[in-house]
Amino acid sequence: MLEFFRSSAVRVAIAFVFATTVATTGIFALVYFQIKATDQRSNRLILEDEAAKSVNHSVDELKYAFEVRLTHGLRRLDYAALFSADRKAMFGNIDELPRIPVDGKSHFVAASPVPGGDNRMEPAIFVARTRPDGTILLLGRSLLETLAFRRIVLGALATGLAPMLLLALAIGAFFARRASRRLTAIHDTIARIMKGDMHLRLPVRSQHDAIDKISRDVNLMLDEIMRLLVQIKGVSDNIAHDLRSPLAVVHAQLERGLENSDNEELRGVARQALAHIDKAMLTVAALLRLADVEYGPKSSKFQTIDLSAICADLFEFYEPLATSKSINMALEIQSPVQILGDGDLMREAVSNLIGNAIKFTPEGGSVGVSVTQEDGNPVVRVRDNGIGVEPAERDKIFQRFYRTASGHRVPGSGLGLSIAAAIANLHDFDLRFDDNHPGAVFEMAGRRK
Amino acid sequence: MTTATSISLQTILLVEDEKELASEIKIELERLGYPVRTASIAEAADAARVGDAALLIMDRMVFGEDSLKTLEVLRKEGVKVPVLMISALSSIDERVRGLKAGGDDYLSKPFAMMELTARVESLLRRLDDVRTTKLHAGDLEMDLIEQTVRRGGIRIDLLPREFKLLEYFLRHPGQVITRAMLLQDVWHYHFSLETNVVDVHISNLRKKIDVRGGASLIVNLRGAGFMLNDHA
Repeated sequence: MLEFFRSSAVRVAIAFVFATTVATTGIFALVYFQIKATDQRSNRLILEDEAAKSVNHSVDELKYAFEVRLTHGLRRLDYAALFSADRKAMFGNIDELPRIPVDGKSHFVAASPVPGGDNRMEPAIFVARTRPDGTILLLGRSLLETLAFRRIVLGALATGLAPMLLLALAIGAFFARRASRRLTAIHDTIARIMKGDMHLRLPVRSQHDAIDKISRDVNLMLDEIMRLLVQIKGVSDNIAHDLRSPLAVVHAQLERGLENSDNEELRGVARQALAHIDKAMLTVAALLRLADVEYGPKSSKFQTIDLSAICADLFEFYEPLATSKSINMALEIQSPVQILGDGDLMREAVSNLIGNAIKFTPEGGSVGVSVTQEDGNPVVRVRDNGIGVEPAERDKIFQRFYRTASGHRVPGSGLGLSIAAAIANLHDFDLRFDDNHPGAVFEMAGRRK
Repeated sequence: MTTATSISLQTILLVEDEKELASEIKIELERLGYPVRTASIAEAADAARVGDAALLIMDRMVFGEDSLKTLEVLRKEGVKVPVLMISALSSIDERVRGLKAGGDDYLSKPFAMMELTARVESLLRRLDDVRTTKLHAGDLEMDLIEQTVRRGGIRIDLLPREFKLLEYFLRHPGQVITRAMLLQDVWHYHFSLETNVVDVHISNLRKKIDVRGGASLIVNLRGAGFMLNDHA
């Protein structure tokens, strides 16, 4: 998803650059062609007019006029020559009649020898016209200036366009980055919310752009989801609450029945029923415990506790159980790792993790408990090389009542990890699962501030 | 169950507003030989003041009234009657509050009746005899000062926690000890377990203290817990 946003932001930037380039080039082109057209039109008109006017002058007058024009004329003609009827040069600065119709109209000649004869060629416009005495008058104008003008315009375009392009790129990149940074922030927040941080909300700036609008909508949706979640949890908590006394009463009555009856069949039924009620009571107790941790007032008992001591104590508590299953247990602790917390709750959380690890590790396996301080952050890890958790189930193991497919045969309320996660959360810790290849690592680490 | 007669003259007062639960508790305790009377908070307090109660079993909330306040008043007056709190409030904070107010033990609902009766027995027979330096069970002797255990004169080496565990049994001879009680009193863990760790500890302890071929000093009570068999 993020990749898509990123690439789309880049695409926007590129489109922006492209549009800027096209617009700039377009303006230049328009100016250029306008000027060029105007220039050529006026050149042509002048030439044709001159040619028309010159037709009735005598040859001498022409000769004089040419000299004046070619050397001093304000509106200089670049080319002027007179050819005899058989197209031989009589005078002027062109030796050969260009191959154009002799019709008094201006014509474009791509390459014409430059007067002065150093064999340079340049584009020019010529007008040739037959005079009454049969001689041919040729007037012409070099297009060198026009070309020079074109070069100037193109040069300006080039020098103007490069910084323009860079600027557009920079602006595009800036917007793209800003957009992608906001989208990244949104993405990260959503990821954390999906991990269970339901109190987080998408960042909204005061700008009322599309992203803000969508963020606001998503936040409203999250509020609604939260409300429903709390409602559902409330309902299940209330059910659990109301089930307590009936369960206790039924339990007692069955026990009494078991005590007083000689009917072996009834006793068997009562025993089975008691086992199921025990399980129900375990679940109800765990649910209420979870509700206590999640919604109870933040414990007033928060004080400095030592995670190392707590884990060492639990290690000693669980080691005989592990030994009885031929599971090797190892403890790795650093000297005191102190946090602010509720010792009883932390003990419960770590106990759930170690108990689980032993439960899901086959005979001959190993379970490790470590307490470390990593970059000033307290971390408790419980690792085993047991059955682990299938990748598809990893997101679900912290959910209430979730039992893995392989864990279904193992007794328990299915709430142990939920309780551990809730306790971790209460302490600003995160409880995470990691693959131990094979087995599981449960890592409870303090959140970085 | 040898001491039941010595306390039978006094009654257990039960303060519980859930009728059916109260009736089940009453039936069960009476079956074990304890006279039980249901009472209001005020009635129970009055009985305790005049020394007419062996034990109070009080629900935290009775008809919307918090019984902790009454308990605090009783303790201030110097009334020493043992009190078992039962409560729908299960959080650790609530338990601590209950004990601070003067409760001697705290059970959260739902509980198995066995859990309640075991605690009642434990409270009724509690020997506040902290001066004891030696505990006995048959030919087993525990020296609390030297921190040693001998059986038939032969020294047995125990780990510190095994010592504590055995000490707890020796202090509650002939009483039903539930796993929850051991967790709470020996390990000071205030949560329930979904594993049989406690049983493993007991069985390890048995291996060390029991005589080969003889009856076990600590017996398993099906569906309830354990008991020190001090006639072994």
